[in-house]
Amino acid sequence: MTTSHAQPITELLDAETVQSIADEVWPSLVGDGEAFVPLPVAPPAEVVSAWVTISGPWNGAVVLTCAPATAEALTESVLMTRPPTVVDAEDVADALGELANVLGGNIKSVLPGPSALGLPRIGTAPPTGRLDDVRRIDGQWRGQSLTISVQGATGAPHTERNEVPQQ
Amino acid sequence: MRALVIDDSRAMRRIVGTILKDFGYEVREAGDGRQALDVLQEGFTPDLCCIDWNMPVMDGLQFVMAVRANPAYRQVTLMMVTTESETGQIVKALAAGAHEYLIKPFTADAMRDKLALLGLLPEGVSA
Repeated sequence: MTTSHAQPITELLDAETVQSIADEVWPSLVGDGEAFVPLPVAPPAEVVSAWVTISGPWNGAVVLTCAPATAEALTESVLMTRPPTVVDAEDVADALGELANVLGGNIKSVLPGPSALGLPRIGTAPPTGRLDDVRRIDGQWRGQSLTISVQGATGAPHTERNEVPQQ
Repeated sequence: MRALVIDDSRAMRRIVGTILKDFGYEVREAGDGRQALDVLQEGFTPDLCCIDWNMPVMDGLQFVMAVRANPAYRQVTLMMVTTESETGQIVKALAAGAHEYLIKPFTADAMRDKLALLGLLPEGVSA
């Protein structure tokens, strides 16, 4: 297996590509007319992240980070819930995880392959590796801070179970 | 017409299921390939299975191979609905017996186009 960080993500992926992927994902998953807008706003004090790992010639993760309240609102939009229905933590993990999964899968498709995508996880974002191995877009959805980070893994290459059968 | 939507994400099952119901499908759901096989063995025989690739327990490719290995399910149309968009993965799924491939994210129109291609668009739904 190739060691991590052979080529940093900044040489493999530009911000416009990440934005174009988000432009397809938001209307499809979050709802008609919804958009991830690449204009940063003040970051929230408390955040939650969902991410998927990419293992291959490039190793790292695609991480979606926002405030817990934004994650709930995103979940309500993804699940198309209407009051008085409320979403619970499991719903948030599922919806935010699926957003990260679809973003990650599409980002994987523009990176050198073959690569494997891990299953979505939610919680505190994994630490970033080298500073030049991060492609980060700070933006907003409905005026709330949202960050998409494509970040290299720290240390050794990933060894976690690969959900995609090997070529 | 009947469809089985197989995805470990409830959100995605809801999105796919809503689109198919709007087209007039009766929809059942399963959270992984193993659960989907259980649904088939219970006697629910769908016209269409929409199958995610990356799932715990039994992934989508394993499910396709299991269904194709059983002659009782040879009439079931299998469509991968996944973020796996590398050509090698698509070829692998089609070689294993999947009939079509729809890459996430997708629109209801894209789903309708695929169903029309497969001859699985219910009467009354315009192609």
